[in-house]
Amino acid sequence: MKFDKFFALAKEKGLSEAQIQISKTKSTSINLFHHEIDNFSIADTQSIIACGVVNGKFGISRTEKMGRDTFEFLVDGIIESARVNEKAEEVDLFKGSPKYHKKNVFSQALADADLKDTLVLLHKIEDDLYAYDKSITEVDSVAFEESEGFSEFYNSYGLKLKQRSNFFYIVGSAVAKKGEEVKTNYDICLSNDLQAFDEKAFVNGIGEGLIKKFGGTQCDAGKYPTVLKDDIFSHLLGYFLESVSSDEIQRHSSCLEGKLGQKIASSKLTISEKPLQKNVFFSYFDDEGVATSNKDIIKKGVLKTYLYNRETAKKDGVESTGNGSWAGNKIGIGFGNVIVKGSKRSFEEMISKVEKGVYITEIEGLGTGMNPHSGDFSCQAEGFMIRDGKIAEPLNLITLSGNLFKMLADIKSFDNKMKLHPSSFACTDVLIKKMAIGGK
Amino acid sequence: MRFTHKKEASMISTGLAIKVLNEALATGGDYGEIYLEETDAGSVMLENGKVETAGRRKSYGAGIRVLQKNASVYGYTSDLSEKSLINLAHGLANRFSDKPLFTVKSIEKQHVKVTNRIEDHLKDVAIEDKIAICRECYGVSSAVDKRIVRIQNVFTDDFKRIEIFSAEGEVGKRYENTEERGRLVMVVVASDNGKIETCFNGPGRYAGWKWFKDILDYKSVAKETAEKAIMMLTAAECPSGRFPVVITNGWGGVLFHEACGHSLEATATAKKLSVFSDSIGKQIASPLVSAYDDGTLPNEWGSNNVDSEGHVTQKNQLIKDGICVGFLVDKFNGRRLNMEANGVSRRQSYRYEPTSRMSNTYIAPGKDKAEDIIKDTKLGIFVANFGGGSVNPATGEFNFSACEAYIIRGGKVCEPVRGCTLIGSGKEVLLNIDRVGDDVGLGQGMCGSSSGSVPVNVGQPTIRISEITVGGRGGKLQ
Repeated sequence: MKFDKFFALAKEKGLSEAQIQISKTKSTSINLFHHEIDNFSIADTQSIIACGVVNGKFGISRTEKMGRDTFEFLVDGIIESARVNEKAEEVDLFKGSPKYHKKNVFSQALADADLKDTLVLLHKIEDDLYAYDKSITEVDSVAFEESEGFSEFYNSYGLKLKQRSNFFYIVGSAVAKKGEEVKTNYDICLSNDLQAFDEKAFVNGIGEGLIKKFGGTQCDAGKYPTVLKDDIFSHLLGYFLESVSSDEIQRHSSCLEGKLGQKIASSKLTISEKPLQKNVFFSYFDDEGVATSNKDIIKKGVLKTYLYNRETAKKDGVESTGNGSWAGNKIGIGFGNVIVKGSKRSFEEMISKVEKGVYITEIEGLGTGMNPHSGDFSCQAEGFMIRDGKIAEPLNLITLSGNLFKMLADIKSFDNKMKLHPSSFACTDVLIKKMAIGGK
Repeated sequence: MRFTHKKEASMISTGLAIKVLNEALATGGDYGEIYLEETDAGSVMLENGKVETAGRRKSYGAGIRVLQKNASVYGYTSDLSEKSLINLAHGLANRFSDKPLFTVKSIEKQHVKVTNRIEDHLKDVAIEDKIAICRECYGVSSAVDKRIVRIQNVFTDDFKRIEIFSAEGEVGKRYENTEERGRLVMVVVASDNGKIETCFNGPGRYAGWKWFKDILDYKSVAKETAEKAIMMLTAAECPSGRFPVVITNGWGGVLFHEACGHSLEATATAKKLSVFSDSIGKQIASPLVSAYDDGTLPNEWGSNNVDSEGHVTQKNQLIKDGICVGFLVDKFNGRRLNMEANGVSRRQSYRYEPTSRMSNTYIAPGKDKAEDIIKDTKLGIFVANFGGGSVNPATGEFNFSACEAYIIRGGKVCEPVRGCTLIGSGKEVLLNIDRVGDDVGLGQGMCGSSSGSVPVNVGQPTIRISEITVGGRGGKLQ
């Protein structure tokens, strides 16, 4: 095996089990500003995470430095890490799942794409954004990145897993001015199918969103029926899924402790994790080598499962759900390809019965404005009033406050426009009964 | 050069550096730079007093940058072999197609004055000693109240060795520097009747072991962290509306960091993308406000001996009596601005192209006493601690979240409130500062931007904003 020397050294130095993961990434990125490439960047990196068991204790070490003494550095690091580990439970590494659902998600067409053609596309985006409206004074960035990743997993039980993937993203960002009023808007497209990228729709989306923002004011502070745009809802759900982590549950820091099998959200809500869905977020094994699987997390408002790694699963006497993921120096809980079921209604139908409400299209500051344990949050927001079932005047510098769990219980409906976001969540816009809006 | 640690061999030879620079500059680049980094980082984490994880990580690589007028190309690799570096330089040079402007013939080593001196390196301290401090903190926090259900204590240290080779003519320059920081992080989770509250504290410093062990009063920090988590269990929802807000000294400076600091970085002003792009010489704040970014403060969290381009760090005045007098300028963005770099170019690691960033940014002291500012406020909010915030430099619109706030009634700090967000535009809020205290303090944070996450100090004395939008779920302020 490629890493025989590592495993031999690990054994020689007293490790009963060992594991090594190697990640290699190659990427190219371009940024346009004022019709010129103002930034071009290329990268070629690799990193290793190694872990193992010494006297029943877990140890870990990591490096980006490849050389003659790399394996020694890693093995010594594992021993030192395990030496001070005080966890009572004995640990072991994984022997392997009965079946792995490997798929080829690498896009050869993207890897073969000519950068010159991509550059033509980027220039077109920039030109079309400037031409979209005369109030657009700057296209502050049109950026592209293509990235190829290759990861390998080996352990001393002979488990060998490999995955190759690639993706690109395009960012367009523009600034518009009317008098003293300055507005910005941007969008990101993440995919591995460059041919399917719809330049016109991308530019129109940014331009239209930008122009509509002019004249934004604050509404009166109060509680309003609130529609959250798909990306905002997906952002909030990311925090919710932290509460579904079995690690948080077992440490008594999740509000969902003891709620398995109970109705915790509106019956309109169904959330699934589909890591085996074939897209850029596809992953057929987790960081412990456990095969991933598709599953419902919430079905019609009922909490169906917590997310487990091997250690937390053992504590609860269940099987790992394949959600083991490196979090610093330990295996924590991760997730990807999370899908929220939409409805058959159009956006217009969904808001048609809202007499006076708000449509939140952007939020800022959730990173610090969210208490992920209590679910309380408060952040800067902007969007539009909804009056008599229709989108009305723009809103600016308002705040959106709420509690994540209450918000999920108050879901009234979804629309039918499903969008996959760079956060690996796919969802639609959502209507919430009432949320607190701060303004005048 | 004077270093307080054992001198280590260069990561690449001067001969190879010259070769790589010439390859990178072969197509007309006017500035070439190789940034080499080896970081040895360690962390240990205790959950409820027991070591749960410990480990060391080595980050290692090179970033190569070529500038040609207002265009930059950047590449990085974790492979420092000659073949890899030449390949990378060649790939970057391919972006230009002119004749070379010069050939680098020699490199001169530059003297780097060590303003941040460390005698006792954190990486040399036994892990047991770091665990002992964490365990003491746990002991103090856990004794505060039975409703505390979870305590995390983390000690992290980071030793970064850097070499920079740069050239804009036949004679290139070489800089060597080390950076070393430690941080003691504590998170306390309290739970009661299904309610869960968390409190965080993370004192950090560009310092050695003695500061953490003997100078930092970590037990008081641990006690306070636990007490605040308990207090928040019974805090009412914050009211919303527009009213006066008094902001505490120290970490309260995150207001200035978000509302103004980012918008004064050349990253935003050079392309005229900031609300303050054309503000030099103009009034952008209340006449009571003067502000600085000072990377030279010895051993502070955001300090350094030199920046990521080799420039010596400076004390840069940004605002004088309300008038904008300077920007934070890196080499590349300085070209568009026609301004000299002023020692503020920073990056998280070799994986990031450097750009202008804040270091230790603070509002200078005024004349008021903090207690008088509170006493003179009839009805408002007192913000004692922030979680953090963010800004859009183009519009100047910012937000930040208070994790500890109280109602001020009749000149007195009264009941605590939770879920408090302050929003506004930088232009408006700086002009609305109507009281400035004399009690400047600094607080430590991590600032994320295009060149990654870098340690920064924010700072200010106690200040009052006459009116700002406050968001919360508690209805009207009464």
